Amino acid sequence: MVPLAIARQTVREALRRRVMWIFLICGVFLIALGPVFGFLSPKDSQTVLRSLGLAAILLAGLFITIVTCIYLIPVEIERRTIYTILSKPVQRFEFVLGKFLGGFAVVFINIAAMGIVFLLMIRFQEGKVPADMYKGVFLTFFQMMLLAALTIFFSTFATPVLNFFMSFGIFIVGNLSSVTESLTTSRVKATQVAGTLIHYLLPNFGNFNIQNTLIHPTQEITNPDVFIRQNILYALIYSAVLLILAVIIFDRREV
Amino acid sequence: MAAAISIQGLTKKYVDVWQKQEVVAVNNLNLEVQEGEIFGFLGRNGAGKTTTIKMLLGLIFPTDGDATLLGKPMGDNEVKRELAYLPEETYFYDSMTGWDILDYYARLFKIPEPERSRRVQICLEKVRLQPDAWRRSIRGYSKGMRQRTGIAQALINDPKLLFLDEPTSGLDPIAHAELRDIVASLKDEGKTVFLSSHQLADVELICSRVAIIHRGKLLTEGKISDLVAGDYAEVVAQGKELNSVIGQLKEFAPGSEITGGDTLRVTLPDDEKINAVIDVVRGAKAKIISVVPHKRTLEDVFVETVRKEDGS
Amino acid sequence: MQKAVKKMPASVNRRTAPMAVAVVALLGVTALLQKAIDPTARQIHMGEKNISQVSGGLNNEFMLLPLLGFREAAAGLLWVRCDEFFHSGDYDAILPLVRIITLLDPHAENVYVTGAWHLSYNFTDANERSDRRYIAPSEALLDEGIANNPEIPDIKFEKGWQNFDKIKNYTEAEKALQDCIAGPHHDETGVKGTDDYPFAAPLKTLHLLAHTYEKQARLPEALEEWQKALARTEKIMADDKAAGRQQNYANKQMWFAEKHNYAEDLQRYHNRYTTTGHDAINPSNPPLPGVLWPTGPGISPQPWDVALRPAIDVKRPKVLRVYGRFNTADGSRIDCRITDWFYKDRPLVDIKNSFQVNMAETILVDSCAVRKGKFDREMDMSKDPKMYSFSVPTYKIVLSYNPRTTSPHLTDRFGWSGEGMTDSDLTHVYLDNREPLLGTALIAGQGATGPIWDGVTVPWANHSQPVRMVKVTYKVSRKQIMGEAPITAKDIVPND
Repeated sequence: MVPLAIARQTVREALRRRVMWIFLICGVFLIALGPVFGFLSPKDSQTVLRSLGLAAILLAGLFITIVTCIYLIPVEIERRTIYTILSKPVQRFEFVLGKFLGGFAVVFINIAAMGIVFLLMIRFQEGKVPADMYKGVFLTFFQMMLLAALTIFFSTFATPVLNFFMSFGIFIVGNLSSVTESLTTSRVKATQVAGTLIHYLLPNFGNFNIQNTLIHPTQEITNPDVFIRQNILYALIYSAVLLILAVIIFDRREV
Repeated sequence: MAAAISIQGLTKKYVDVWQKQEVVAVNNLNLEVQEGEIFGFLGRNGAGKTTTIKMLLGLIFPTDGDATLLGKPMGDNEVKRELAYLPEETYFYDSMTGWDILDYYARLFKIPEPERSRRVQICLEKVRLQPDAWRRSIRGYSKGMRQRTGIAQALINDPKLLFLDEPTSGLDPIAHAELRDIVASLKDEGKTVFLSSHQLADVELICSRVAIIHRGKLLTEGKISDLVAGDYAEVVAQGKELNSVIGQLKEFAPGSEITGGDTLRVTLPDDEKINAVIDVVRGAKAKIISVVPHKRTLEDVFVETVRKEDGS
Repeated sequence: MQKAVKKMPASVNRRTAPMAVAVVALLGVTALLQKAIDPTARQIHMGEKNISQVSGGLNNEFMLLPLLGFREAAAGLLWVRCDEFFHSGDYDAILPLVRIITLLDPHAENVYVTGAWHLSYNFTDANERSDRRYIAPSEALLDEGIANNPEIPDIKFEKGWQNFDKIKNYTEAEKALQDCIAGPHHDETGVKGTDDYPFAAPLKTLHLLAHTYEKQARLPEALEEWQKALARTEKIMADDKAAGRQQNYANKQMWFAEKHNYAEDLQRYHNRYTTTGHDAINPSNPPLPGVLWPTGPGISPQPWDVALRPAIDVKRPKVLRVYGRFNTADGSRIDCRITDWFYKDRPLVDIKNSFQVNMAETILVDSCAVRKGKFDREMDMSKDPKMYSFSVPTYKIVLSYNPRTTSPHLTDRFGWSGEGMTDSDLTHVYLDNREPLLGTALIAGQGATGPIWDGVTVPWANHSQPVRMVKVTYKVSRKQIMGEAPITAKDIVPND
């Protein structure tokens, strides 16, 4: 499989980038710091540990995903290695898919590493790991997968710097899903139309933030498993959309 | 012999977005390259050589025109199995070893193991990269070693048609000569090589045919021997009595002339009559300063052609 | 900037249309998915829209984090900061943080509970008297917490506790505690009907509810709560035993306490609402007006005349001496409340942006201990101008004695509804006939129409007994509070 060969090579390259390791170490450090903050607030040590840990995974994951994925395609063009690849029997969609799979694998490795540290901390502090904690890490991973697809999509036509701001911007807007949802029922027509478009068309990153239910064991949502399945499906389909768009653009890109 | 590359009216234009000014990178290029030949594609920097190659490989898209490679339309994915491209100044994946880079490219051709390892080894050997460097990261490679790796990656699929963009530029003399020989040896394997270069000496040595492109326009193409036709020899002598033999000399060379009262300059279209001229000159007791057979080189052809185009 | 003029290969153009169609179709699918996700997401992200409305003096940079999905972490860190403020005594700084945290993380039940406790208990005057003006925002905060977390028992319990302990509004306390017990709760696996805290009301909820019934003079219901509590404790102990665990000493103590309280209520019910053990009644001496007193053979005493005879002197501006006679046993306390004439107890407050209280309002709640039939207390409000601004022209001073809120040994003397108590100045007798305050009626044959008790089974509630209080209301002017004119018996107005 050509995309897999490209993905494999992408992972090897990405794992050698220092900046990624810095973010990973910061993330792990923040997670490990959870109990320290917990001691400051004994009654809420569990809340602090969980919220800080999940936030650290999200924050580090966010930066790792963006800084990794914005460079995947541009660096090949800059180094001209893309000439050697596309002049071989490699279709452009295979190249985009390979790059995405590679970025996705890097994100997976990082989230998994931080997730393991986080779950170990929980295990250490609370004596057991509630099943929900896995779900939190899991959904963050799918959130980052969607972000990776978005960043790859932008990288087919934007410079890394521009891409950084665009991906970050869309991530912020996408995180305001509760706000955009309320706009869909706005009485001002223009706001309603804009809100509806944003809410239903832009990638909705806010969906994946289920930290609240994890931090408060008593906080229950109806059908959490269905919700998680819907979100995973959403991430997969939306990533596919972004990749197809990326291919449409990259097919026309002069390299 | 079938045409390995056949280009018809290939054109690439760029528009300056703000001023609506049109820049023509490649202008209505027509060219045929036969199978089995090493074809030199000559031009100054920015003449449109790389643009042409990139169009042929589907990396960029022509404004107009068409081409076939090995009988298939350009950009066709399947024909790429038989192609190879060594871009100019490629910065390979720095952190990888030479072996791993070749292994990666072999994977792109879906070459399975153990064939893959065998191919990698053959290619590395063929470009004479020292075996102790195979498993070292490319970061420590010299420019020549990198270029060898580049050629090795181009050979990984045992291609029928190779596009080499300035494969020898910027190398030390030894590496330069070795790489040139490697390219030359490809001909013996029956491969077609499309060699883009302005290392005219190399091209003259190893290419059978060349084309000269300037500002996107094809100026001339043909066999090197045809292009460089027109050698001459020049005899320069000094003597007070030369005036007496000038009439005799003009029979051999109508362009003979005496300048400064005693310096004779005779230009001969070939070297057959050099001895006769020398005999006449010595008969006039003159001193022979130099006898220079002028061999016309590709460089002369190139400079003349380009200057002529620019002048017109 | 140059733009390439290009003619795309047919193969590329051919596959664009199907890809574009796929994009549109898949976007449709994601939009539908989003519609399916929204209702659940709403449950999780409740309250997110509000953050933008509050700044609370926080840096704007700080507000960015929550927008990126770090709401809970931000809330957690702020909460740690609150703790520091608390220990450094910077109480005012805590309020905006509590507001922000609960908006950031509407499920931070601890913050609701602690914040409300902080509001209700920690703002005090120089004599450690609570600033009652903070009770309304405190209650509003608890209500918001309950609305955001209907399934979390802790906040409901806190509301019950505050109404029981601080506000002494037993009607509200009972509602909150019953709500706490009712749920809706289910444990982490979704099993409903669990009794396990934190997924269901803790055992203490039953205890407090029982006490709330006691305070409302609804003994049968109190008894029933004690029975439920005992059953739960006994089950815990039995489970421990069945699982071979060592007996938990705390559980055993709990059981003893519950048993004790149950027995005590039973005893009181027995003594108070039946003729058993009572002195013989003197039929020639009918009850005073407003007194529902057991009549019939074997039931005796007349209500006791507590004879509340208060006086108020103003010693210095805003320093009042409240003294007088009150004919009860030592340990009784006269409740004293000084407020703006039109002060409203549970005003609707808007806590959307802050817990700001109206600094122009004045309310003081205090009590005077009775010793040897006398009480005498100085109430100094001059040191806390922020709490006691006295900025309106007229004030209400209420001195009262409620047998339900007094200590149990005194409640026993006068009955939960004050059946055994009266004041020879009948204008002081005050019957609170409000429906929710009606206590258990007397038992049939004992001067009422309730069920007949066999002495074993507790008859079900029959609420018809109003609470009977002794109460004196003064209407005074600002001038009088400031000592420019004396406060005399002429200032006493009818109780409202």
